[in-house]
Amino acid sequence: MPAILVLDDSVTMVMSLSRILKNAGYEVETASNGKEGMAKLAGGLKPSVILTDINMPQMDGIAFIKEARKAASTRFTPIIVLTTESGGQKRDEARAAGASAWLTKPTEPNELLTALKQLLPSK
Amino acid sequence: MQVATEATDHLVCAVLAAQVAELRGRIDTGATVELLWRTTDVLSQLSGLVVELAKRCRDSDHALSKQCNTAVAAEVEISRSLESLAFEQAQRNDFTCQTVDCVVTALERLAVTDVPAGGRLSPDDLAALYVSEDQRLVHDAATHQFAIAAGRNDAESRSREGTGG
Repeated sequence: MPAILVLDDSVTMVMSLSRILKNAGYEVETASNGKEGMAKLAGGLKPSVILTDINMPQMDGIAFIKEARKAASTRFTPIIVLTTESGGQKRDEARAAGASAWLTKPTEPNELLTALKQLLPSK
Repeated sequence: MQVATEATDHLVCAVLAAQVAELRGRIDTGATVELLWRTTDVLSQLSGLVVELAKRCRDSDHALSKQCNTAVAAEVEISRSLESLAFEQAQRNDFTCQTVDCVVTALERLAVTDVPAGGRLSPDDLAALYVSEDQRLVHDAATHQFAIAAGRNDAESRSREGTGG
């Protein structure tokens, strides 16, 4: 069962995403900011895909992506950005940092699951 | 007199920041989202019972069995819609909270009394706090309206000075 690491500082969003992903058959790990996400990765978590918000306290999504790309275990892990930001500048920053895909809130559960399936490594 | 007015302005900003922060706590409870999930869970359980009923009455009551199957199909559709609605609501809550955070941060900065020269909150500082394109569009529209109103006031002042009024 593929594991997804979800990063969002909104408790309701984390719960919503967890529910959708678990119902779709994924294992879910969560973090409330980039720092917590990096700690989980450093602790040995090897997610198949990472789903991250941009605007979070302590370490935002773009800083998290940069850090995750430095780590050997997540250098090539697909990272989907899910954020309220729709601006081109932030999107370019995220892409330059190493984001694989971008979804703007509000999005549909199906859109999210389709993006995940497209990015999950085929077995 | 000027100092007293400024102190009042700072106090008003501090109080408004606290009021808005209080509102934010109420937005992020997610009660509506959780209620929608509970509803879908209960519907799913009921649907399971209806499936069982349909199986048991398949031979004895064909019409009831058919109605049960129709109800189960409707439940699947409604539950899917409720799940989508809950997700949309969660995302809207998130957007509202982030917008509120921006307002609280700005008001807290305006409430600071000992601001060094050049340290006042500027429109550009405010724009740097935004987390969505929607906020930037509102910002642009508001600054545009402000510029029009300011221009009109200047013109009226000049007109009054010109006529000696």
